Amino acid sequence: MFKKILFATSATEACDHAARVAFNMAQSYDAKICIFHVLGVPTRGFSQVVLDVKTKEEVVVDDEYIAWVEEEIKVHYSKQLETTRNFEIKVAIGLPHREILRAARELGPDLIVMGGSTGDDEDSVYKKSLVGSTLQRVAKVAPCPLLVVNRPAASFWGGMSNVIFGTDFSKASDAAFRFALQLVKTLACELHIFHALDIGSMHLGRIMTQDEIESNIRESLRRIRGRYIPEMKDVPEYDFEVWEGIPYVEIVKYAREKHADLIIMAHHTQKASREDTRLGSNIEQVIVRAGCPVISINR
Amino acid sequence: MNPNNKIAGAILSDAALSLFHKKQRETSKFKEGCSMPEGKFCNKKPVETEEELKALLGDTGGKQYYEEMKSLDIDHELLWKTIQNTLKSRMKTWLEICAHCGMCADSCFLYLINDQDPRQVPAYKIQSTLGELVKRKGKVDNEFMHMVMETAWAKCTCCNRCGMYCPHGIDMGIMFGYVRGLCYQQGFVPWEMKIGAGMHRVYRAQMDVTDEDFVETFEWMVEEYEEDYPGLEVPVDKEGADILYTVNAREVKHYPEDLAEAAILFHLAGENWTVPTSGWEQTSLAMFAGDWAACKMQVEHVYAAMERLKPKRMVGTECGHAHRATVVEGPYWAGRSSGKPPVESIHYVEWLAEALREGKLKIDPTKRLKKPVTLQDSCNYVRNNGLKDITREIMSYIVEPGYFMEMSPNREHNYCCGGGGGFNGIGLFRPQRNKALITKRDQLLHSGAELVISPCHNCWDAIRDLEEEYKIGIKWSFLKPLVISMVEIPEHLKPKE
Repeated sequence: MFKKILFATSATEACDHAARVAFNMAQSYDAKICIFHVLGVPTRGFSQVVLDVKTKEEVVVDDEYIAWVEEEIKVHYSKQLETTRNFEIKVAIGLPHREILRAARELGPDLIVMGGSTGDDEDSVYKKSLVGSTLQRVAKVAPCPLLVVNRPAASFWGGMSNVIFGTDFSKASDAAFRFALQLVKTLACELHIFHALDIGSMHLGRIMTQDEIESNIRESLRRIRGRYIPEMKDVPEYDFEVWEGIPYVEIVKYAREKHADLIIMAHHTQKASREDTRLGSNIEQVIVRAGCPVISINR
Repeated sequence: MNPNNKIAGAILSDAALSLFHKKQRETSKFKEGCSMPEGKFCNKKPVETEEELKALLGDTGGKQYYEEMKSLDIDHELLWKTIQNTLKSRMKTWLEICAHCGMCADSCFLYLINDQDPRQVPAYKIQSTLGELVKRKGKVDNEFMHMVMETAWAKCTCCNRCGMYCPHGIDMGIMFGYVRGLCYQQGFVPWEMKIGAGMHRVYRAQMDVTDEDFVETFEWMVEEYEEDYPGLEVPVDKEGADILYTVNAREVKHYPEDLAEAAILFHLAGENWTVPTSGWEQTSLAMFAGDWAACKMQVEHVYAAMERLKPKRMVGTECGHAHRATVVEGPYWAGRSSGKPPVESIHYVEWLAEALREGKLKIDPTKRLKKPVTLQDSCNYVRNNGLKDITREIMSYIVEPGYFMEMSPNREHNYCCGGGGGFNGIGLFRPQRNKALITKRDQLLHSGAELVISPCHNCWDAIRDLEEEYKIGIKWSFLKPLVISMVEIPEHLKPKE
C-alpha cells in the first residue's frame, strides 16, 4: 500500500528521525521514495533572488545552484541512499507547504512523510508572513495520508505490530478508520481502537459527575461496536477502549501502554481559528507528544 | 486634463508604434550584415521565444548580460528618429518650461533618503537624461546610456509624486516611463526587466505560467477549500458573467491561496463571476521595462478576453501596477479612442468596498481587527487613479474604531513603498532599493501600527523586504485573508457536519 512515498525534508537534523522512518519504509515496502526539499522562498517579486532556507542568505538561483543543493541532500542522506534503490531528489522554490502540496498533486504519492517542527526561531525563512506551520498547512489539505515523526523516540519503524486508531466519530475519522483497516490487514498487525472522552475543554465551568462520565463512556463503547467492529471480520487481533481525560494526553498514554508503532488519526478540515494557530487540535498535540509516528488523514 | 490619462501621452500612437517596429526589424536585419556590437544576451532585440527566455535566465544575475552592455552600441539614428516621432508637445513643453525652482526636490523620497543629493532632484534627473538626449539629438555614448538606465530604474520609481508638487505640473515619473522606452529600444534595460517583458511576450504573463497552469492551479485551490466552503467553484470562461476576474501571475506561481481567497469571497457574496482561460494576467512588467510593444500585446490579450466573454465588469486582484496597466493606461496603448477598457474595469478594493457597503459580505463586528492598523496607499491606483477614500471605507468596516492609524503623509501624498516601478525586482540596484525602503520603514514606525494592510503586490513585497532588511516587527497583509477571517458565512453556505 506504500508504493510511492514523498519525503518532504528540510535536509537538516530536524528531519533525521523522519528520514529514518521514510527510508525504512521505502526499503521494507519496496517503495519509490521522492526526497523533496524546498530550498528557498522567493524574496523579490519577479526576480530570481531567493532567500536560502539554510543560510538565510540571498542567492540567485540557477541550475548550478539547484544542482549544488541536490548534491548537498545526497551527502546528507548518503548512508540511507546506499541501500535505497528507487529514489529521486526534487528541489523546489516557493513557500514550503505550498510546494509540498504541489509536489504531492503532481506525484500522487501513497504517503507523505514529514518531520516535526524545525524548531526554528522567529526569523526562520519558512515562517515568513504566514500564520501557522508548514506541517499544519500540509496536514489540513494533504491529498493522501501524512506521516509525521516529531520526536526521536517516534522514529522506530520496523516489524510493525501495534497500530492505534484514535477516533472522535467524525466523518474524517471514518476515512482514517478505512485507512487503518487496510493498513493492519496488509501488514498483519494488531489494531487498537481508542476514543477519549473529553472532560476538559468541552465542559468548562461544569464538572461532570462520575455517573455522567461512565454513561458517556458506555455510549462511546457502544458506538465503536456499532460503527467499526462489524467491519473488522478479517482482523484477527483487535481491541478497543474509551478513556476519559484530555484527549491528546489519553491517546499518548494509551499508545505508550500498547507499545504502539503507529497512531492513525483524522485531521479535521475545519479551519483552525486564527488566534490559535500554534498546534491547536488534538492530532497536532498528539504529533508533538507521541513516542511513535503519527499518520494524519483528512479525507 | 484628466490626470488618469497622464501617461497616455508618453505612449506611442499606433502609427508611431508600427514605424518603431519597422525600424526595429530593419535594425535587426542591418545587424546581421554589419559589425555593430550586439551581445548574445544584451542587445536591441526583445526576447520572443521560450528558448531565448531560458537562455537569458540561465545567465545568472545577468553577469554576461551586463558585461555585454558595456560594449553595446547606440543606434543614434533610430534613437533620434524615435524621439522626434514620440516626444510630443506635452513632454517637450515640460522639458522647456521647467523653471529649475527645486520645488520637486522635497517631493521625491529618493532625494530625501539619499541625503538630499542634488543629483536626486527630479528636475535634475530628467534634464540630465531626457533633456540631454534631446539636446544632443540622440548622439550619446554607451557610458551616458548606462547613466540614463540607472537614473530611470534606480532613481525613479515612476510614483508620480513630484508631478503633484511641481507648480507647472511637470511629472518626472511620466517622463521616466518614456525614457525607459528609449532605453529599452537601445538595449539598456536591467536584466530582470528584459526577462519580465520577455515573459509577457512568450507567456502573456509576467512569469512562466501557462494558461493551463492558471486554470489547473485555480481548480486545485478550489478543491482544497471546498470542504470548508461547500459549493465553492471557479467558473471558467463563462460568458456574460457579472464579473470577469483577472490576477497577477505571481499568485498562481507562489501564492495560490490568493486565488482560493478570491473565489471564497465571490462565493460568499453570491457573485456571478468567471475567470478567462486566456487573458487572465492583469499585470505588465513590460510597462516597467519600457517595452511598449509588449505593453500593447499584453493588454490587448486581456481586452480580447473581455470581448470574448462579455462580462458586465472586470475586477482585478489586489495589485497596483496591474490596475495602472490594464485599466488606466492600457486603453491608450491599445489605441482605444474611449480611453477605457472594453468593459467597466475596477480594482479589487472597489469591488470589496461595494460588497461590504451593500451587505453582500457581512463582517462579524466581534472579529474586526483590534490592534493598531495602518494602510499602504499604492501610488498606482491611489495617486494615479483616485481610490484613496474607498480603501478607507473598507478600513471602517474591518478595523475596530480607534485602531486605524494613518501614515504620514497619506492618500495621494503617500510615498512610494520604495520598490515601485520594477525597483523591487532588479538585482543590480538592490543596494539603492534597500536604501529606498527606509522611507516606508520610518513612516510605518511613526504610525505606531503593528499591521499594515497593503492591497498591492508591489507594496506588499517591498514591506516584506523591509521587514527582512530592517526587522521593525511590522506585519503585513492583503485584504482578502483579513476579510475571510472576519466575514460572516451565510447559513445556507455553511458546511454541514
